Amino acid sequence: MTKHLRVLTFAALAAIASLATLPLARASAQEPRLSLIKDDATRDVVRSLLGRAASVGLPTDPLLSKALEGVAKRATTKSIRAALAALEKRMRRASDLLGPNPPEDLAAGADALYVGVPDKTLRQMRAMAPRRSIALELGVLTELVARQVPPKQASAMVLDLMARGATGAQLTALSSAVQADVAAGIKPDLALDLRGRGVMSLLPPPPSAATLQGRPR
Amino acid sequence: MNDERDELIERASLALRPLPRVNAMATARIVAAVRARRAQRPSALRLVLDGLSGRSLSLASAGALAAAALVIGFVTRGAIGARDDAAPPPVAPATRGAEVPARPAADVAGVVRAVPVPIVFSAAPNATRVSVVGDFNSWDAAAAPMRRVGKDGPWTATVLARPGRHVYAFLVDGATLVADPRAPRAQDLDYGGAASVLMVVAP
Repeated sequence: MTKHLRVLTFAALAAIASLATLPLARASAQEPRLSLIKDDATRDVVRSLLGRAASVGLPTDPLLSKALEGVAKRATTKSIRAALAALEKRMRRASDLLGPNPPEDLAAGADALYVGVPDKTLRQMRAMAPRRSIALELGVLTELVARQVPPKQASAMVLDLMARGATGAQLTALSSAVQADVAAGIKPDLALDLRGRGVMSLLPPPPSAATLQGRPR
Repeated sequence: MNDERDELIERASLALRPLPRVNAMATARIVAAVRARRAQRPSALRLVLDGLSGRSLSLASAGALAAAALVIGFVTRGAIGARDDAAPPPVAPATRGAEVPARPAADVAGVVRAVPVPIVFSAAPNATRVSVVGDFNSWDAAAAPMRRVGKDGPWTATVLARPGRHVYAFLVDGATLVADPRAPRAQDLDYGGAASVLMVVAP
């Protein structure tokens, strides 16, 4: 009898443990947006990859979105599988560099890594803003590098602007201006240098490192 | 009339009569019994420890533990599953290449709010239907159908997107993806194809 009851207790404890992690795995398995994928083979592949990502604590939304983008672009199952596997890998790396939250930052970090932003930059950006989302800053950096601005130069500029408290609007304006300049034929590094100096002139000098942590903007 | 009044008086008098005297010994016995039972009832932690150490555990207690596990599971599930999508957008629209005042995109880690973003498309004068699809709506053609302004005017829609960089396109007549001619092109090495970049800033 005692043995039976001990087993029962262990079963209850196991239930507690499994119920704590079940929602994530189940959420991916029961994801209603999977029905947007009409092809059975593709849907199975995507479901399996989402389950794998959820089991290691990665957000599944960016992966599902990538899969559905592939469906919208009529990509093959093979290329959707490859795209998802590569994105999952980048998100794991981003999670190591940025921490697990918020999920939007992981997707933005994965995009930044995709275009060639150095790992070190992601760590520095998170250290500069540990308590808020940096998805926008990462997005601006991704766009700058995607427009052929050298990653080191773009990283230094974005970090400097963050340190000086540049607003999201100032950052996106910088990104738009550089894109326009590059489209007009100006060299990307020169465009960033000129436009970056323009934004800097509007900002106060960087405060001491101690006051930077999680400063609201 | 008088009979009714008499009946009322009788009821009132019954209600006001003092309750019978309680046997003090009986009360003491009941209180003692309740206290003793309470002292015997183990706490949840005690239940677990007893179970692990192999001491006696009633089926009812084990059932209670399992029920507690279920409750914890559901509560956790609700907390993890809760997203702020359901909450009404609290801020004014941001726009493509937005130049609107910014405020923190997240108050605490994990809470990033979506904002409404107006989208305009004027490059499909002969289209019969256009949708805006992107990572903000899972590339779902049914999520954001666009409306035409006037007979020959541009197509418009408003989407909800979180602050940051997004990739999107227009689905024309349910078949052709078209990039936004007014926005930067997205670099997509995975699938290629037409798509544009939308930067969203929290107002």
